[in-house]
Amino acid sequence: MTAPSAPGARSRLGRIPSWQITLGLASLVLGFVVVAQLQSDGPRAQYASDERGPLVQTAISLQSQQDALKAQILDLRAQISALETKGQGSEATATDLGQRLQDARLAAGLIGIEGPGVVLQLRDSGETVLPGDNPNDYLVSAGDVRTVVEQLWLAGAEGVAVNGERITTGTAILDIGGTVLVNSAYLAPPYQISAIGPADLFDRLSASVGFQTFVQNRAQAFGIQIDYAQPSQVILPAYAGAITLRYAQPDPSPAAAGSLPTSSSVP
Amino acid sequence: MSKRRNQLSLAFVALILGLLVVVQLRAQAASNGLDQLTPTELTVLVGNLNTRNDQLRAEVATTQAELSTLQASDARGDTSLGQLQSDLARVRAWTGLDPVVGPGVRITVTGPLDAASVGDLVNELRNAGAEAIAVNEVRLEPNDIVNGPIGGLLLGGAPLGDPFEVSAIGNSESLTGSLTRAGGIVAQLAATAPSAQLTVTPVDQLRLPATTEDLVPAHGKPQL
Repeated sequence: MTAPSAPGARSRLGRIPSWQITLGLASLVLGFVVVAQLQSDGPRAQYASDERGPLVQTAISLQSQQDALKAQILDLRAQISALETKGQGSEATATDLGQRLQDARLAAGLIGIEGPGVVLQLRDSGETVLPGDNPNDYLVSAGDVRTVVEQLWLAGAEGVAVNGERITTGTAILDIGGTVLVNSAYLAPPYQISAIGPADLFDRLSASVGFQTFVQNRAQAFGIQIDYAQPSQVILPAYAGAITLRYAQPDPSPAAAGSLPTSSSVP
Repeated sequence: MSKRRNQLSLAFVALILGLLVVVQLRAQAASNGLDQLTPTELTVLVGNLNTRNDQLRAEVATTQAELSTLQASDARGDTSLGQLQSDLARVRAWTGLDPVVGPGVRITVTGPLDAASVGDLVNELRNAGAEAIAVNEVRLEPNDIVNGPIGGLLLGGAPLGDPFEVSAIGNSESLTGSLTRAGGIVAQLAATAPSAQLTVTPVDQLRLPATTEDLVPAHGKPQL
């Protein structure tokens, strides 16, 4: 068997109807799209079932309700602040109270702040899962987000937010099926952790053993992608959640006027 | 006839191609990560969002009432000192600037436990609805992180000691339930740190101290 001569090949090509060439090309593109679709699932698994659709819709709807409620709370708090400021000046007591209230709100994270700092971004690994490895190790977890937040605090941060959710005294950072909830708000990856602190915050962070261990265990071992930026101004939004206490009450005892030495049970 | 069939085949392939491209683009546009959750996880998420939204609605109502009181005072030309004081007390108690009392749980930790596990425990308490937490004599703020090696845990540079106590104010029943349920944090730590022992005790009334930190940001300025 010999290879066909060039003129023979040309004549064979010439015999192929143009619609077949078009169909062939279209099928080729179709193949690419199907493969792209399958590959775009990435390392995060997808589940298909009839019950998921309504649940996803409910979750999306609840999340948008949550966003609206938070906006409403921020708006109401802004109106309250404006009225309190307006009332000041008439009495020294009111002025003093207003200032203390402003300081308390700043301390609590109820007021947005801006200042020097750092923004770290965590993204899932792009590496292929090695045989025997747990695929979840290649995804950013709540534990990763919490570790970075903790290391930022230890490095001297005075305010931290994750994808716009301000970290407060009551903030829990949770995993639900490999996705992250902060302040019970569902956050979609990538996770941007913004912190305000001293000008050398990032230097302090990168010099800390805890952060170095994190980079070693997650970025170097599994390819979790860690990026950082040091913009001139980092902005942390105000916490927009509930601050109502149902069980904890200000201590009415006279000792509370000072500071209590220990946490203790009251008989 | 044959030409018509060819055109039909081509049209069919084009249709499928178009559908796939649209599905791909829409999937990418709407990809908020929810597509990776199982029905069970979605149910947990929905429950979590529902609880949170209820809390936010209650907060809207409280804040609305506070605003109405201030507006009424303003209309009368008064300065509502009482309102300012109660608002101040609420914010200071919530953020840990004042000592608080209330029911809750005390967890006594004996034996070697690593810093990350203490972090897990505190995170779980917050998730379970704890309104104020203290470790030994330190009221926990977000920047109070337990660190250091096993056997030499530190909080704010001071040794925690062995045993040490974690106290949390909240609904003592639900806090105890969340911590001690099957697969909960106490069970998890029993598996990962079998030498450590965690004892959870519901307490009718705890008193947690105020933080000694000045939490007002020194580098960050308020956004106006």
